[in-house]
Amino acid sequence: MILVVLEHDGARLRKGALEAISRARQLAMGPIAGVVIGENTQAVAQEAAQYVPVVYAAEVGPYTAEKWAEAAYAAVEKSGARVVVATASRQSRTWTARLAYRMKAGLLEDTLESRAEGEQILATRYSFLNRVTERQRASLPVVLTAKPNTTPPAEPAGSGAVEPLEVRLPTGVEVLERLGEQRKGVSLTEAAVVVTGGRGLGSAEAFAGVEELARTLGAAVGATRAVVDAGWRPYSEQVGQTGKTVQPNLYIALAVSGAVQHQAGMNKSRYVVAVNKDAEAPIFKIADYGIVGDVHQVLPALIEAAKKLKD
Amino acid sequence: MKFLAVVRQVPDGESRLRIEGGRVDLSGATMILDQMDEWAVEEVIRLQEKHGGESVVVALGPERAEEALRTALAMGIDRAVHLVAEGYIDPITQAELLAEVVRAEAPALVFTGGQQADWDAQALGPALAEALGWPVVSWTTQIELEGETHAKAKHDLDEGAEVVRVALPAVFTSQQGLNEPRYPTLPGIMKAKRKELKKLPVTAQSRVEILEQSIQERTRLNKLIDGKDPVAAAHELVRLLHEEAKVI
Ligand SMILES: Cc1cc2nc3c(=O)[nH]c(=O)nc-3n(C[C@H](O)[C@H](O)[C@H](O)COP(=O)(O)OP(=O)(O)OC[C@H]3O[C@@H](n4cnc5c(N)ncnc54)[C@H](O)[C@@H]3O)c2cc1C
Repeated sequence: MILVVLEHDGARLRKGALEAISRARQLAMGPIAGVVIGENTQAVAQEAAQYVPVVYAAEVGPYTAEKWAEAAYAAVEKSGARVVVATASRQSRTWTARLAYRMKAGLLEDTLESRAEGEQILATRYSFLNRVTERQRASLPVVLTAKPNTTPPAEPAGSGAVEPLEVRLPTGVEVLERLGEQRKGVSLTEAAVVVTGGRGLGSAEAFAGVEELARTLGAAVGATRAVVDAGWRPYSEQVGQTGKTVQPNLYIALAVSGAVQHQAGMNKSRYVVAVNKDAEAPIFKIADYGIVGDVHQVLPALIEAAKKLKD
Repeated sequence: MKFLAVVRQVPDGESRLRIEGGRVDLSGATMILDQMDEWAVEEVIRLQEKHGGESVVVALGPERAEEALRTALAMGIDRAVHLVAEGYIDPITQAELLAEVVRAEAPALVFTGGQQADWDAQALGPALAEALGWPVVSWTTQIELEGETHAKAKHDLDEGAEVVRVALPAVFTSQQGLNEPRYPTLPGIMKAKRKELKKLPVTAQSRVEILEQSIQERTRLNKLIDGKDPVAAAHELVRLLHEEAKVI
């Protein structure tokens, strides 16, 4: 039995949840059960039942790692699952660690692909700040998280049953305040094209051009840490070791130096484009195409050229 | 109060990684105290400066990891414990080993890095919390103690952030914005040489095995266009992306 923990936004399953179901199916280790944890779980569990035959709904309120681990563990006990699959969101990577410890399981974190071989699971993942690809192996029980955008989302497979799941709520963490960040436009981690601005743009105002190019290309806007630290862009746009990891078809870095910590978030992009006035900037070493020049002159010209192409 | 930081020694991100026999070979790499752990060490020192008591740093790793512990001592931590073990150990097993030391030390809180820069694991902090039966706050950007029993902390989620009140003892993991780590001073480095560093050899059976590592340096095209004529350069770039790469 495999248990899939299904992430949702309180109304719908997230894309990552459908990717996790695909991963569970790929393992082909017998029946699959799902669990929906959090708020408004009944409605989401109904949606989830189109994909898996049994869905547990654990109504536990706002997220804490403790509650998610407790609910997932209750679902493991109820289903008898020896493999748990979840999407490798930042939150999941916290509670799955608690769960794996409790299950005395091997934890395969942030995997790119995975397959079963008898009582073992083999997986690949990146390590060393995304510079190394490694193959790993663990014996059951296993907790596995799937890196977003590495697996095609699952298709519906019939209609399953929803069962409520009682969870003993742990204490210790009390949520006082949620500080939301508005998400507009294309989501950064899912975008096929990302346009990132760096400190070389010189000001928050200069990002109007970055946004315009992104709009023209249907892209998401990214930022470097230097830009976020300067307060020009919100942290939710930061790409890198301590920001988001992206892997789009096209990554355009404008006035970005290409520090290793930034590379850790984007070096697996299919094509990398850089605009920088310094021909020696490290970003050019990992770029497929580049323009050596002043971003204030090149960016407006790029917007024009992109618009012409789209017309 | 007692504050404890758990740290790792990792290769500097700038240093060249080599593969030898299907494994990353670190013999030529410059090894440093993980930069996310530096934030954890700095925070522990600041908490001690503010609330008094003692600070301890703990590492699990090979002999050379002692250098990372000495760096933390030079920054200002009081003493160090080194669990000496070679080779890859998964975070769940690491947590099991580290929990014994933490339980014996009984600190008010543990701070560690948000993600390890070698194994890219984010699991150590939360797994350690589970081993101890403590709450965890990951990707912490702000922390303030409320007496001896609670802390108020701000931390990042996938979307946005939240403020939580946590019962102590608890585990926290670091995130950028938490603080600016201080540099070890020369007197600090001299003093660190005389500070207590206790070594305890451990053996562990990792639950996860690494079969093979490889560096997949994607071969990049490196086609550079001179931007002296920005309009011509922009058109050429857009043409290449459209016709050659076919990504727009
Ligand atoms: C533990 C840790 C974690 C980190 N995590 C992240 C992370 O997640 N993401 C991240 O981005 N960084 C991260 N950093 C910071 C990182 O090391 C760099 O400091 C940062 O990426 C630099 O941002 P930048 O390239 O925008 O700025 P700079 O390094 O200042 O580079 C600006 C570039 O713009 C170019 N330029 C200047 N003017 C022009 C012009 N007119 N036209 C064209 N080009 C121009 C310059 O040649 C230069 O290459 C982290 C650091 C640490 C220690």
